[in-house]
Amino acid sequence: MKEMKLFLGPQHPGMHGNASVHMFVDGDIIKRSYLLPGMLHRGFEKQMERKLWVNNISLIPRVCVPEPDINEMAFATAAEKLLKLEVPERAHWIRMIILEFARISSHLMSYGGLGGPTGNYTLMYHAHADRNLILDIFEKITGARVYHQYIVIGGVRKDLPEGIENDMHAFINSLESRLTEYRDLGIDNPTIIKRIKDTIMLPEEVVWELGVTGIGMRSAVGKTYDLRKVVPYARYDQVEFEVPTSDYSDARATLDIKIKEVQQSINIIRQCLTKMPEGPVRVKPGRGQSMRWTVPAGHAYSPIESSRGEFGYYMVSNGGTNPYRVGVRGASYPQGLLGIEKYLPGTRIDDAALWVDTMGICSPEIDR
Amino acid sequence: MMNSINNLELVKKLVNEAAPVIKIEQIDNQQLAFEIEKRDVHHVLTVLKNSGWKQLSYMSAVDWIDANKFELVYVVFNWDKPVYVQIRAMIDRNNPEMDSILPIFPGVKYYEREAHEFFGIAFPGNPDYHKQLILEGWDDLPPLRKDFDPSAYSDRKFPSREYPADFSVVDPKNKSIEKRKERKVRANALRTGGNKQ
Repeated sequence: MKEMKLFLGPQHPGMHGNASVHMFVDGDIIKRSYLLPGMLHRGFEKQMERKLWVNNISLIPRVCVPEPDINEMAFATAAEKLLKLEVPERAHWIRMIILEFARISSHLMSYGGLGGPTGNYTLMYHAHADRNLILDIFEKITGARVYHQYIVIGGVRKDLPEGIENDMHAFINSLESRLTEYRDLGIDNPTIIKRIKDTIMLPEEVVWELGVTGIGMRSAVGKTYDLRKVVPYARYDQVEFEVPTSDYSDARATLDIKIKEVQQSINIIRQCLTKMPEGPVRVKPGRGQSMRWTVPAGHAYSPIESSRGEFGYYMVSNGGTNPYRVGVRGASYPQGLLGIEKYLPGTRIDDAALWVDTMGICSPEIDR
Repeated sequence: MMNSINNLELVKKLVNEAAPVIKIEQIDNQQLAFEIEKRDVHHVLTVLKNSGWKQLSYMSAVDWIDANKFELVYVVFNWDKPVYVQIRAMIDRNNPEMDSILPIFPGVKYYEREAHEFFGIAFPGNPDYHKQLILEGWDDLPPLRKDFDPSAYSDRKFPSREYPADFSVVDPKNKSIEKRKERKVRANALRTGGNKQ
């Protein structure tokens, strides 16, 4: 049969973001494939070199749209490493609350995104409705729904508003009671099990070859390789949580881990709300004018565990008022580019969208 | 805490035995940076990979235009002995070239393609490094070099449009367009020192 070229582009309901997968198919088996990024490239790394350290706060959340807070955290911790700055105790706990809500929201979005390629749109509506409630909480705390610009160098922008704890407790209680419902709708649903079981296999040697991190790695290797445990940042060493793993790595196992991680994030938020001390939330980062402060020269890499894997900023300062170079390590870079080129061939056309969803590919962080 | 100090010592010992080190820098208690010579990079990365640092977290370059050098950066990580190791090496800026580390870390393929696209560094050994990845039809200096000026590029690439005809709708009762023109003349006069034209 003649080889034919197919295009899985941004218009497809299973595709996340503005990238496209080009596939050369024979029948319905993919023979060759590659990801074509570049439709969303905005030159962030160059723009950051031309802005003040403070100005960059408004730019960095745009690097990954579904989960913007990890960018702020990685940028702030990298700069704090260079500044040797100690953040106030309360700010660490507020950051953890924000990051865990961001993780839940991102997991809900990607779990609901399963509805696109499998045709179960009810799941997507439920997940997005719950994510909307998280955005309401973010709006009350930060004033913005998606791009919060809340975690800044030296702490967080403002203290939590009064009475927000009640909203948080109400939300996490209701979500916790609905987790079984999510399981029944998604990964325990017989039609979906038939569709996703034993597809998108990710063997251990592929993980090490590509450099996949996050849930893909934990499901394949079966160890608790989570940066929150291994290299604790903020105050993750003072809360108790488990890192769910699996001994079998297919699409169903990764989604199962996602739901379990939502439960763990809920537990972390509960502990943060009880253990959080009172006090200031922000310190002045550097000497000099209010905006044009400088950061000492040096190189620092700051890894953060995002919902999709290791996310990091490589930051170089030459002692000036602007960063000298900012490099972004996107969590989905290895599996998005090399993974699609090397390991998508051999699967079927309809698995391509499922691959993009379960591997957590976020095209804006490839095109930064 | 004791463990992390032991791990740092282990990394220092491994790298020092493998190659002469120009400079060691400790960024925090779980991150070390080594500056080494360009020719030692492959050996050091191989030694680290065989000792458990088998995840390549990041690879990129920094443009030090004043010293006329590019600095290549490799960040590797070991999940069992959690220390991030930065390996940095300077290469010449005029004819930048670095042998690919694809045989050691296959995951570096697209990082090297990106570094070639944004800095113009050649990576012989990587079969696809010269192919276009993100910038479609790029015809200028590689954009992350410090001597590339984005605003000059956009002025050259997208010149401001000149409109041959005036399409503004004139309403005889509404004087706002005339007022705007007057304000423009006045502002220009102030700027050029009373030279009305």
